[in-house]
Amino acid sequence: MQSAFDRHRRRLQACFGAQGVGPDDQSRITLFIQSLKAINAGVLARLELQPMDWAPWKFLHTQYYRELEMSTLMGRATTWSTNPLVYVEAGNLNLGLWNRTRAWDYLQGPLAPDARFYRYLAMSHALLSVVRLIPVLPPSMPLDTPFLQALHDVEEENGRQIQLQIRLLKELDPGLERQEREALVEEEREQVEACYLELLESLCPDGSAG
Amino acid sequence: MPVFTFEGHELYYELHGRDGDPVLTIVNGLSMRTSHWGPYFQLLPEAGVRVLTYDMLGQGNSSKPVLGASFSDHAAGLHALHAHLGIQRPYVFGISFGGVVALRYAVNYPDALAGVIPVSTFSELDAQLRGHSTNLYLGLVRVGFGFYLDLLMPLNFSNAWIAEHQELIQLIRRVGVSTNELYGIQNLMESLADFRSMTPELPEITAPALILNGEFDYLTPRHLHDILRRGIRNSRLVLVPRVCHAFTLEIPRLTSRLIADFVHGVERGDWQGDQSVWVAAEDPAAEPLLQPCPGDHLRAIPLPASEQRQVARRQRSTPRRRRAPERARN
Repeated sequence: MQSAFDRHRRRLQACFGAQGVGPDDQSRITLFIQSLKAINAGVLARLELQPMDWAPWKFLHTQYYRELEMSTLMGRATTWSTNPLVYVEAGNLNLGLWNRTRAWDYLQGPLAPDARFYRYLAMSHALLSVVRLIPVLPPSMPLDTPFLQALHDVEEENGRQIQLQIRLLKELDPGLERQEREALVEEEREQVEACYLELLESLCPDGSAG
Repeated sequence: MPVFTFEGHELYYELHGRDGDPVLTIVNGLSMRTSHWGPYFQLLPEAGVRVLTYDMLGQGNSSKPVLGASFSDHAAGLHALHAHLGIQRPYVFGISFGGVVALRYAVNYPDALAGVIPVSTFSELDAQLRGHSTNLYLGLVRVGFGFYLDLLMPLNFSNAWIAEHQELIQLIRRVGVSTNELYGIQNLMESLADFRSMTPELPEITAPALILNGEFDYLTPRHLHDILRRGIRNSRLVLVPRVCHAFTLEIPRLTSRLIADFVHGVERGDWQGDQSVWVAAEDPAAEPLLQPCPGDHLRAIPLPASEQRQVARRQRSTPRRRRAPERARN
């Protein structure tokens, strides 16, 4: 992952540094982030219908609304593309994300602090931490447009929201040994990383900032 | 990219300098990475010291295990890296969090180092440092990585340096946010959650120890370095003028000279660890580079000359080796 990411970062920093982030790439990025948020919020929404009898419920509730807020913020701040192909590509990336993360697994039956929930935590930890776009912008590039400011705010908010996943991944006992838990977390991370690299690949096609 | 796999996790490292020269291993501070030591990759080899830098688990290009690593894992990983590279007796230099790792390494692996250089660091968390640590941690998790770096900037750098480098500081902040993973740094901080004072173990460190403390380091101030000096018999404390916690980034030439003089002194066999206190010159080319510290080195208030003479007389008349256990109890 690291070497592929470094390659894309160099390419994208050069491209965005020269031409800024245009409507095509803004749309690709926003649609991808909205897919992540839809997956996480979709799982969390189900907890809204369950009894509030578990200490972390309050934090899961907060995260649900924060995810909705960040998703709509990105939508409002984006200069949307008029190129229909951008939306076709985004649909494919979105489908790949659902397939790789098997997010539908968490949409059936009540959620309980068990191995399945632990896997959801690992997946959502990856959703909140792997996908970062500010690092592929040149460090000297001002974040002074509504889109870039919103992107920055979303990534900073992700850092606050992920505290829930960090605490539960470390402290929840899903009946697995530590090595099994580490392997599970790594598996989920690899799936999200693969989708993230596909997004990076799609940005600035042919060096155009779109 | 050179990596060493330790217990399933990758440690990224860089080795600079000539084969055969004594090796200095640099252990990063909390939110640092190998690239922060760029000037040292040239300065130290020029002074005849080979440099090994690496990113700890959670930092830079090394693995960032989501579930974290225990504090002892850091010293064990470093020991395994030395073995992997065939480095038998390195000088282990660590700053801040890395200084604690260096001290742990010196305690756990006394036969696997030639010297230790704890810098801007501590062996115990006193009330003020615990307060700073809590604030930094809460700033990191409740506000964000950028705010955590904002909290550190005025503690890390001197007024003069901050005034001269406003644009660079913004760049450092942005790069810091972009290149670090919040959860990786958070895991490093959390590995200190059950940290127990290492002060009782300091007498077990027998390797020569050069302790470096910036004059205006208000994050890990003088008395914490003095605990190290009193606890490590084979030590010297050097006060570095006009700089703060992260002075290694601010004055690489002076720091390199201090390191190289120590390493070569130990190699020649003429470096003496007598628990004495010294003040470094500001000019890295000064001869001599170090002067004995006059007066009470634990006071920030300049004493009148008459009182300084009294303190100096007291220090001369009381052998340090005999006085150390008594002071260590205070």
